[in-house]
Amino acid sequence: MARLNDDAQWIVLMGFLVSFSLFFLALIINQSTIVGQSTSESVIEFPKSDVRDISHVIKEHAGNNGEIDDRVYHDIINLSIKRKGAVVNYTLNTLHYQPFDYTHNYSLIHYNNGVTIYNENWTSQ
Amino acid sequence: MVNSGGQLYTIEGVAAGLIILVTAYLVLNTTTVYTAGDSHISDMQLEILGSDALKMMDTPLNSSVTESPLQQIVRNDDGFLFREMFMRYTNVSGFGPKHDIQFSASYTYESATDASINSVPLNASRNLTGGEHAVRVTKWVIVNKKLPSSAPSEDRAVLVEVLLWRD
Repeated sequence: MARLNDDAQWIVLMGFLVSFSLFFLALIINQSTIVGQSTSESVIEFPKSDVRDISHVIKEHAGNNGEIDDRVYHDIINLSIKRKGAVVNYTLNTLHYQPFDYTHNYSLIHYNNGVTIYNENWTSQ
Repeated sequence: MVNSGGQLYTIEGVAAGLIILVTAYLVLNTTTVYTAGDSHISDMQLEILGSDALKMMDTPLNSSVTESPLQQIVRNDDGFLFREMFMRYTNVSGFGPKHDIQFSASYTYESATDASINSVPLNASRNLTGGEHAVRVTKWVIVNKKLPSSAPSEDRAVLVEVLLWRD
């Protein structure tokens, strides 16, 4: 019976090392595209700029006395549903606190595009 | 008689072969996923670039003016100014490295007379043929305007919409 040849063990070991490192590199590359895809997908799906934009335009137009402009209100609500597929509603109100003779503006904004629901309750200080 | 020398080499060879096969499978599998993920990533970048440019255009130039350039563009139907500013902000024109981005811009309003939704084109760097892979960015703007021209002049909310795509 021939003796087990134990020469060149270093070469064998290095061979194993190289092939295992290649294997794990391939695993990492395989995962990275899935990570990139799902990350950018969720960035596209999340309506960050839409929500900011609608909240900005509503507050900007609220003015000092805080009443709703009927025309602008209908523009925002109808265009949102027809062009953006988002249900938007808002109320603006003014509260006058007699003890301090101070006027608060507050707004309630509701936004729902089927994926993201956003509700904002803002009060001026 | 069977020669039993070099058994370790044989085992190593079989193991290495298996590892190479699995690795090749993983790599090939990866490339098929890649094209789908790739378009999402560039869509996202294009969308962010476009909405940032619109946000910049909707900021008044200094504190002494209250009207932003974008409001002015919609109020005057100034498609030329839109093109100038938008292409500069998205690095299509101007100094430095340039992007190959095409756009088509319009704004949408609700008619005050019959409640229909109408779009008015502002400007486009190229006509849409239908084959483009475009993303849409929008910006709300409040303007004092007659929409449509038979309606009284009052504050209106209009939606500026821009389609963006790369060549």
